[in-house]
Amino acid sequence: MTALGEFALWIALPISFWGMVMGFVGGSQKRGDLVLSGERSVHIVLVLLVLASLGIVSAFLTDQFQYYYVAAYSNRDLDTFFKVAGLWAGQRGSLVFWAVLVAFFSSITVFQNRNRNREFMPYVVGVLQGILGFFLVILLFAQVNPFEQLGFIPADGQGLNPQLQNYWMMVHPPVLYLGFTAFTIPFAFAMAALLNGRLDSRWIVLTRRWTLLSWFFLTNGIIFGMRWAYEELGWGGYWFWDPVENASLLPWLTATAFLHSVMIQENRGMLKVWNMSLVLLTFLLTIFATFLTRSGLIDSVHTFAQNTTIAFIFLAFMASVLVAAVILILHRLPDLRSENQIESFLSREAAFLLNNLVLLGAAFAILWGTVFPLVSEAFTGQAIAVGPPFFNRVNIPIGLVLLALTGIGPVIAWRRATGRNLKKNFAFPLLVGVAVSAAIFALGARNGYALATFGISAFVLAIVAVEFWKGAGARARIEGEGLLTAFVHLVGRNRRRWGGYIVHVGIVLMFMAFAGRAFEVEVRKALNPGETVSVASPFGHEYLLTYEGISSSREANFDRWVALMTVERNGVPVGPMTTERRFYRVNRQMVTEVGIRTTPLEDLYLILADVEDFEGVVANDPDAQRIMVQVMLNPLVAWIWFGGVVLTIGCLIALWPSPEVVRRREVSAAEGEATGALAGAASS
Amino acid sequence: MVTLGALLLVGFSVFLILHPVISGKEAPLESAGEDPSDAQFRKRVSLLQLRDAEYEYAMGKLGEEDYQALRKEISAEALAAIRAELAETRESVGPAYESESADLEQEIARVRARLKGGTFCSECGHPNDAGSRFCSQCGSPLQSPRTSSAP
Repeated sequence: MTALGEFALWIALPISFWGMVMGFVGGSQKRGDLVLSGERSVHIVLVLLVLASLGIVSAFLTDQFQYYYVAAYSNRDLDTFFKVAGLWAGQRGSLVFWAVLVAFFSSITVFQNRNRNREFMPYVVGVLQGILGFFLVILLFAQVNPFEQLGFIPADGQGLNPQLQNYWMMVHPPVLYLGFTAFTIPFAFAMAALLNGRLDSRWIVLTRRWTLLSWFFLTNGIIFGMRWAYEELGWGGYWFWDPVENASLLPWLTATAFLHSVMIQENRGMLKVWNMSLVLLTFLLTIFATFLTRSGLIDSVHTFAQNTTIAFIFLAFMASVLVAAVILILHRLPDLRSENQIESFLSREAAFLLNNLVLLGAAFAILWGTVFPLVSEAFTGQAIAVGPPFFNRVNIPIGLVLLALTGIGPVIAWRRATGRNLKKNFAFPLLVGVAVSAAIFALGARNGYALATFGISAFVLAIVAVEFWKGAGARARIEGEGLLTAFVHLVGRNRRRWGGYIVHVGIVLMFMAFAGRAFEVEVRKALNPGETVSVASPFGHEYLLTYEGISSSREANFDRWVALMTVERNGVPVGPMTTERRFYRVNRQMVTEVGIRTTPLEDLYLILADVEDFEGVVANDPDAQRIMVQVMLNPLVAWIWFGGVVLTIGCLIALWPSPEVVRRREVSAAEGEATGALAGAASS
Repeated sequence: MVTLGALLLVGFSVFLILHPVISGKEAPLESAGEDPSDAQFRKRVSLLQLRDAEYEYAMGKLGEEDYQALRKEISAEALAAIRAELAETRESVGPAYESESADLEQEIARVRARLKGGTFCSECGHPNDAGSRFCSQCGSPLQSPRTSSAP
């Protein structure tokens, strides 16, 4: 299986190049046979890449340590679960994984459009196969072939990084990668539009779902990554402005900008060059993210390899995509002229434009901070890393502006809003916002940013609530429906709008949770069994933790030490909590498994910072039980995950096929049946 | 075994991608009637804008004046798009469009003329010529002229 997988990778390369050439030549020469050949090549490359992936997974499952990649990321005792995840555990496998996902989406696209949008498809195939070809070149020629053999068979592998041995490993990387790769489709359609000259908003409408799908996966991938960091890295936070975290946030920011600015083009025929640039930028940033994660260029908790060949190939690819796309855009500039002008600065268009500028501002600030070590190294010879303080200082104000815009945008009408009405519409939400800030101030909170965040969040929530309330009310009045029915119909009639509002609510909840960080409490204490540590919550109550004792056990892949604490809240017992240390024998690495007790108000977060005498615990020595614990109270953290759920619901509502599409499908199915019946009647 | 698998893989892949080129089997280069035309596309956008404007007016985001002005502008755009769509249909159907619509007009005129003095069948609703005693469609006896059903 593995040998066949490697072989499949080698055949996939010429076939993807064939497909690229067939797509471009078939498209420009209007040769249907070449186009068909190109389209078939997409499906073939998918099959070949699936075979290659299966080859890697089967090598992991059968412990074939003669392969460098398997030896580096697995060992005999590794859980089967994580052996399957070996496909994306390291650089080599994740490049294959990336390619197989692109091939999967490409294949779906070709199938979906077998009778539709035919003018686009030859070029779409050309672009997609070009991208796949690039990844195959890297895999086969940049010393990252996952099937490379060591020349000898080690007795055991080096094991998977213990911090990756967590169930989020099965979820976070694949979902994030789905997000990165799904954006390839809108990019391919944008390039196809530039090549075939159909530059109205058609390509945008065609790829709207893909963009949203990509955004959906990206967002969830990032949230899952935060959850992973929170549970596994054991320092009490969920975001560290690590280069790889930043790399995933960059395309998210530009994709978010794109999701909003496409509406301006759809509605008003404006911003055509801007949208082309955004789709290009987002695509490049997804490649940049893959590149940064897997090139080892900037130090990060995620990087595994130091290989400069791959860095140069990646940079060359990004540069050529950039140059080709810019030339195409310049060439088509006369056709990309705006059909309309912004009529008023008090309009949805203007608000979206501002949102775009702010999002791009954030993206550039983060990009700058991320590559700063490289830049400083080039000029001063010393890599200076920019830490979280820089990112927080720059991004908190930007984030607040964005947060406010999520509320302001929806209230302003397209083209031109009526100023008088605006004042009326904003009065109540503004009042709510100010009241909430004032109330929290009165309760004793003094952090300016946190007060602003809560105030603005309340403002946005009030706006969305009023929007839903009034919308349902208006519909109930006009259609004579009950309020609840009217509400359901309202959302159903314009899923994008209302789904979008719900996504905004999710974002607001997350921002409030971020602001909770301002009220963190942390206590460190050395404890003997029976001793206690207390922490006071900013919400007024107090937790008392009693250290009961520590025990050790030997598991398949690691040794563990588990400390048990009992917890009381204001004197009322709320149950036990554990926190542990694990020593992964193969990796010779110690990690912490934190204990988390979640409530809507705050998380009680327990870290086993140190064990005084590990050997003594193993020997069950009653005098060797002294530990060091770190207890944290992280306010509102649960609302990040809850916000994520709300956002997912909103996204799904927006993604759901509109009644129009369903009706069209039903009609065409009915027509099909009718024609079939007619044909049957005629033949009988 | 692996060699056999590899050979099959290569053979199959090469066959599939070369087959269209050799046999001349083609993928369609244009989508027949599936995609909206430019005018249809513009019409859709205008109608959606109209829907948005109505919604924003109902929600109190647009004042009366602005709403009326916007509605006029968007309606004009929608109308232009609908005219363009009509012209497109005419063009694509060609002279058949004219004769077909002429046929339709005649048919309508015939039915109208028949109905002037005629009567609807109370059973099947078929319009019958004036003076008919039985329905020419279903054979039911026709009662009073000029009415389709009892008052």
